[in-house]
Amino acid sequence: MAAVVEGTGLTKRFGTGEATVVAVDSVDIRIEGGELVMIMGDSGCGKTTLISLLGCILTPDAGELRIDGEPIDPVNEDLSVIRHEKIGFVFQLFHLLPYLTALENVMVAMDIASTKTDAAERRATELLTQVGLSERFHHRPAQLSGGEKQRVSFARALANRPKIVFADEPTANLDSRQSDNLMNLIQELRREYQTTIAIVTHHEGLKENADRIIHMKDGRIITP
Amino acid sequence: MKTLFLKDMRYRQARVVLTALGITVLISLILLLGGIMNGMRIQARQYVESTGADIWISAEGSGGAFIGFSMVVEEYMAFLNAAQGLTPDSASPLVFAQARPIVRGKSTKAIVVGYKLGKLGGPKQVLRKEGQAEGRMFTPSNFEDYRPEDPVPYEVVVDEKMGLEIGERITLGNEKVKVVGKAESRMFVLDTPLLFMDVRIAQKLLLGNTPHVNMMIAKTDANEQPRQVSAGLDALETIEVRTLKQTLRDIIAYYVDEPMKAVQFLRVMLWLAAGILVGMITYVTMLEKTQEIGVLKAIGASDYYVMGLLLKQVVLISAVGVVLGLILSYVFAAAAPIFVAINFVESIIVVCISFVVCCGSGYLAARKAIAVDPMIAFRGEI
Repeated sequence: MAAVVEGTGLTKRFGTGEATVVAVDSVDIRIEGGELVMIMGDSGCGKTTLISLLGCILTPDAGELRIDGEPIDPVNEDLSVIRHEKIGFVFQLFHLLPYLTALENVMVAMDIASTKTDAAERRATELLTQVGLSERFHHRPAQLSGGEKQRVSFARALANRPKIVFADEPTANLDSRQSDNLMNLIQELRREYQTTIAIVTHHEGLKENADRIIHMKDGRIITP
Repeated sequence: MKTLFLKDMRYRQARVVLTALGITVLISLILLLGGIMNGMRIQARQYVESTGADIWISAEGSGGAFIGFSMVVEEYMAFLNAAQGLTPDSASPLVFAQARPIVRGKSTKAIVVGYKLGKLGGPKQVLRKEGQAEGRMFTPSNFEDYRPEDPVPYEVVVDEKMGLEIGERITLGNEKVKVVGKAESRMFVLDTPLLFMDVRIAQKLLLGNTPHVNMMIAKTDANEQPRQVSAGLDALETIEVRTLKQTLRDIIAYYVDEPMKAVQFLRVMLWLAAGILVGMITYVTMLEKTQEIGVLKAIGASDYYVMGLLLKQVVLISAVGVVLGLILSYVFAAAAPIFVAINFVESIIVVCISFVVCCGSGYLAARKAIAVDPMIAFRGEI
């Protein structure tokens, strides 16, 4: 199977001089299309930095990155285009825009990608129905539960039909029932949309859902 | 989602409304101050232009017409009345002095205009309403120059808007002066009414009965250019001679522009305040939205997209603020206790400049906003 994301020798340092921290250290990583990968490790081991590099939010100090087979040139390429065309993000704290309804929060991702409003509305309606929020289209984030917000967040991540969705601790703010529901939903969405998903998590109980688990320690992958 | 920025504004409506209101008040103040100054200029001009004089003469070194004092000397009068280029016998002395008459027991402000009845400087007849004369003109003195034996009664023709009745008396320089007529209203700067009286009475009441006047005024012959006549007389070096245009420039500078320098400065400060207000509020809003902007960037929004969202808000708030400010300034002007003349063209220019200042400062704040690191999306709450 072709790699959706492939990083070779990815390195990211923060700080200068003696205070330099190597958050990601010469990491080689390959995520195949349709995989559900979990990246696990202790706090500060570099998991979030790694998905930020893979998701083109951070630029690596060294190494090469390919997404969907295409090499990424962080200097000369507009990474925002890659982010909205090929990548979806789900955040630990959902980060829905408080002034928009659930439907509009999904639509905004497509607005960024210059999708026409009526097409965006159709797609957002479809996705929110898919994640079980057909009764919540016009609710604002403040009117939704944590689990519902995370569902909206997933729907937003899938809105532009990304090659891969990166989820950063998506269950960290959910109770165990909501976590189980979310994981079931993720499996369902993955089957439905054939999307590759990489989840950063501490949650050992989620392991069973993964096709592959990547363990990190001190900025390095210890079990590829 | 063309209305995304509107939804954000609705969510933060208290701040949006306060910002727009702040701009509204500042712009209306800027325009109102301009209108007050413009009104003062119009009022400064209207008396000067109403005299019908082309040439304004004062003694060399006196500081100029309307400012200093010149002695009325018979020889001067004779010279001016026969001077080449001037209409024969058109030269006339004029007192133009600020006074504090007591009207119905209250001290008030006024300008005393002392002139020779029938000559340049004041009305030739009283106001007529519905065919009826509003009283009569004051009793004139006999001589062109100062003569101690030339006493006339203390009579005054007042501005119609002073609300005085014919026969009423006002106190001026400890003397009772009888109101004998009303003149068409031509207020001077800051709605100061004009009191017209004989030049001798003005000298007696306000100048200690000395033979001084503020200026002499005259007309030029119909086929003469006032500028050339003025230059010819000015070359004599014992008198300062000004044309109407020069006099208007002098009087506006003396009565309006110089005293209003602080107001001009205040107008610039208000502009600055409007710009800082928009910039500051955009900046504070941006700080509040840092995480939101980070999330938008993380999910693929370009700097251009984020800048567009912020600038649309800045432009809309600024536009609403300046337009409301323009409207409010006209409302304030109508209700103001003094004459305010907002010039429409000038107000449009002020509105445009203010709009640019507000948008410019908003743009500077928005530029800071787009520098937000999208990594921020991985931390904290919106």
